[in-house]
Amino acid sequence: MKIIIDGKRIELDDKKTILEAARENGISIPSLCDHQRLSPFAGCRLCIVQIKGRKGYPPSCSTYAEDGMEVKTKTPSLQRLRREILELILSEHPNACLICTEKENCDEFKSTIRKVGETTGCVLCPNNGHCELQDVVDALKVDKVRFPSVYRELEIKKEDPFFDRNYNLCILCGRCVRVCHEVRGASTLSFTYRGSQAVVGTVLDRPHLESGCQFCGACVDVCPTGALSERALKYESLADDTAATICPLCSMGCKLEVESKDGRILSSRPAPEGGVNRGQVCVKGRFMIKNLVHSPRRILKPMIRKDKELEEVTWDEALDFVACRLKKYKGKEVALVASSQVTCEDNFILQKFSRAALRTENIASPVSVSPLSTYRELVQEQGLKAGLNFRIEDISKANVLFLSGADLPVSHPIVWLEVLKAVKAGAKLVVASPQELSLNRYASVWLRNKPGTEVALFSYLSKAFLESEEDGGHSRVEGFGSFKKSLDKLDFSQVAQTTGVPKEKFMQTAELLLEGETSAFLFGAGLTQNPWGAQNLAALHNLALLKSGRLYPLGLENNLRGAFEMNNGHSDKGLSIDQVFRAVHSGSIKALYLAGPLPDLQKAKIEFLVIQGSFMNDNMEKADAVLPAATFAETDGTFVNVEGRIQKFQKVIGLSGEAQPDWWITSRLAKKMGHEGFGYKNQAAVMKEISRDIPGFSKISNTKLDNDDEVFVHEEVKGKEKFIPFKPVLAPEETGQKYPLLMSVDYNLDYYRNLALTQESKGLRMIRDSRWIKISPEDAKRLKLNDGDTVVVDSVSGKTQGRVRISGALPKGVVGANFLWNEDSDFSLVPLSFSSSFKNHILNIIPVKIKRGK
Amino acid sequence: MEKSVDELEKDQRELIHVLHDVQEEFGYIPAQAISQISKQLKISESEIFGVLTFYKAFSLKPRGEHLITICVGTACHVRGAPMILDEFERKLGIKAGETSEDNQFTLETVNCVGACALGPIAIADGEYHGQLKTRKVDKIIDKLMSTKRNGSD
Repeated sequence: MKIIIDGKRIELDDKKTILEAARENGISIPSLCDHQRLSPFAGCRLCIVQIKGRKGYPPSCSTYAEDGMEVKTKTPSLQRLRREILELILSEHPNACLICTEKENCDEFKSTIRKVGETTGCVLCPNNGHCELQDVVDALKVDKVRFPSVYRELEIKKEDPFFDRNYNLCILCGRCVRVCHEVRGASTLSFTYRGSQAVVGTVLDRPHLESGCQFCGACVDVCPTGALSERALKYESLADDTAATICPLCSMGCKLEVESKDGRILSSRPAPEGGVNRGQVCVKGRFMIKNLVHSPRRILKPMIRKDKELEEVTWDEALDFVACRLKKYKGKEVALVASSQVTCEDNFILQKFSRAALRTENIASPVSVSPLSTYRELVQEQGLKAGLNFRIEDISKANVLFLSGADLPVSHPIVWLEVLKAVKAGAKLVVASPQELSLNRYASVWLRNKPGTEVALFSYLSKAFLESEEDGGHSRVEGFGSFKKSLDKLDFSQVAQTTGVPKEKFMQTAELLLEGETSAFLFGAGLTQNPWGAQNLAALHNLALLKSGRLYPLGLENNLRGAFEMNNGHSDKGLSIDQVFRAVHSGSIKALYLAGPLPDLQKAKIEFLVIQGSFMNDNMEKADAVLPAATFAETDGTFVNVEGRIQKFQKVIGLSGEAQPDWWITSRLAKKMGHEGFGYKNQAAVMKEISRDIPGFSKISNTKLDNDDEVFVHEEVKGKEKFIPFKPVLAPEETGQKYPLLMSVDYNLDYYRNLALTQESKGLRMIRDSRWIKISPEDAKRLKLNDGDTVVVDSVSGKTQGRVRISGALPKGVVGANFLWNEDSDFSLVPLSFSSSFKNHILNIIPVKIKRGK
Repeated sequence: MEKSVDELEKDQRELIHVLHDVQEEFGYIPAQAISQISKQLKISESEIFGVLTFYKAFSLKPRGEHLITICVGTACHVRGAPMILDEFERKLGIKAGETSEDNQFTLETVNCVGACALGPIAIADGEYHGQLKTRKVDKIIDKLMSTKRNGSD
């Protein structure tokens, strides 16, 4: 297809709008409402063009190029019309500064007077210098507005965390409304009222906090004016440096653009293009990075305990002290806890250090309790043909999506965007969840099962599917006969009683599965992190196999897969993280090297505790030495995201205080302990060794990672298709008199290394406080509890505290809580979750009772 | 309320009909109805709010027993609609957009009802009163007071 724009011949391969074609070829057309991620809107009318043989002035953003079109973008009549349109837009936007003849000279002298309540001109606007309206005014050389200026005197909304909304500056381009609706699926914003009263708003003008907002910041990022502005940036001057990095706050591995000034991070935004996230992030990547990197809790100097007090010392002294003390322990007396949030390089060295210097196999980390491990175990045990690698964009190609054990918009935001894309294109979504999730609005079927009854739920779905299917030709697959036979044991009346799901929901789901051609089965930690997690997965695997769909394991930590690979190939001889937790309390472990998460060591019976971390927390009271580690922002390294994609990143700022990268600390320490082979000069040297020693990283090099965004962990998928016979599991204990409620534990990732993000950010606390004990309105009424009351949660294995949050999303009899590795000991769920005697498993469904605390 | 929304259509395209039915039933759109409709039709609450604030036919506040709507469109305006409106406001003791304290009357304005030839025009409980004079206002109010609400909005 050929078109001519302003005399320039342009060749087009696929369907494009005139605006896109022009921009790709260096022809600028002014526009305000158009945005690359959004569907054409044609609201601002600035992008009008003239097309030979057509009447009028069609908007180029919504007119698709056709073969042979001749387009003019800058005729005098177009420019005149554009100026008039812009003048109309400006009549409802503070314009004095925009058309001021002195604007060039002004900014320099007036930039400090921004601390005013109302924005009446650019010099007072938080968006000054980033504003697209300024760009368009310059491009069209508008220097007067012939219409009376209207200031709408709308109230400036400041009640929400993270950003302010000043609709007096809004030009109603609708980008925020569309991004919220089209891309994020939160649909918090809409155009409300009409005509001259029209304004962007929420339902009943409620704050965003009460309107289902996820605070992803997408609206702030697309706003062309200062109407939506990040509060923390309001009074900051412009950045002097911008650098790219990878977000460390969940397994998506979003590409971020970090702005800094004088070595201090000002803001983090999604990189506008590229990366898995393509211009999107979530509340954590958007608003938390600065808080965590510059947290007042950062540990900035090495410390050792002298005369009962921790004292700041030099690196040499600290490392000598630790080396000397650690030498006394070996084998079963010592354990190391590694983080799945540090880089592959750090992780590799931690593993090597434990085996060589600590002479122990007790290398524990959250990897062993992750969905990845449970899945891998099942695959290996049964000899299944299944890999861990996938591509997020494959998900949006499915016609039927089945989700269990993850609240995607919170836990896996970018996966959610793909699911939403699929649903908007007509795919059907089935959600299995005891709690009501915000994404249920997009679900065709919501299977509200009782907590912990997934085996029965999925297995009966298989049965219902087989009954409504004519002949799926499954008999050629191994194990089908015995699987089918095992389902005979399932009687619906019993399943109904166990799961609480009515028959028609099973039938609807079976029908949707039958209709859909391709299917995707997504599962998160909620499905696997309990003792019957493997059976849950087996049941889901069977269902997926009936549909020839694949399973997508969705782990949580940013480098879970990396840590998993670094440990791959080593036998699982040592203690797992839950066993380490119990062992430090029973006294069988004498020395602990804590370079990962493990809260609640107040009552631990250990002789020697080293903490290698970035943030202070309760455990420091118990530590004998504290070694300050750099955060991701100060290091070079690689993370492997949920897809198995290896992403290299570079530091965005210099080291804070005396903190050093983890690989540096541990290898120095190993050297001090007299071990060879730890003389790494930089990250590249470690990477070289990784590619030699780690099978998943073979043929990976820094150069390759620098030049290619599409590098995946190397994996060999062996095994075969096979059904696994259904075995009933005992549902969680019937709620008895003593513990009448079931606590359903969400494993979210609101922490970074040894920092709970909610402690650092008041904003995040308002959205989802990790200390909330969520309770249904019925139970709250019965127990006479109100929002914010302190409660004590009591179970067979331990007690913890929390604050009541009444939530209609929970069914009666179920309470919800957040598992966070690094919550303060009073509020930690670890003692409750780690109490079972199952290795590698933590309980996420726990019978509890709740009473009012002090 | 749950029941009345449950019985309604489940098709998203029916949103305006559903809102009409709720408005009819309750005389306004209660906040609770917005969340009910949202769940039932799987439309976000803010979108529903956007639609219902767009149309004058829907009200977020409870309306009185009787609804009086005065057309203030151009044709009615030049024929004296402001005076008619003044008279209603004075007689009822409320401003346009308000509801009387005894919950008997709601007074509203509308920009055109498509009956310009009859202007100035007022609609009282669905009954059109064309070519109004200020002296007829009393009569309309009296008539409304003597009847139970029967017309629709």
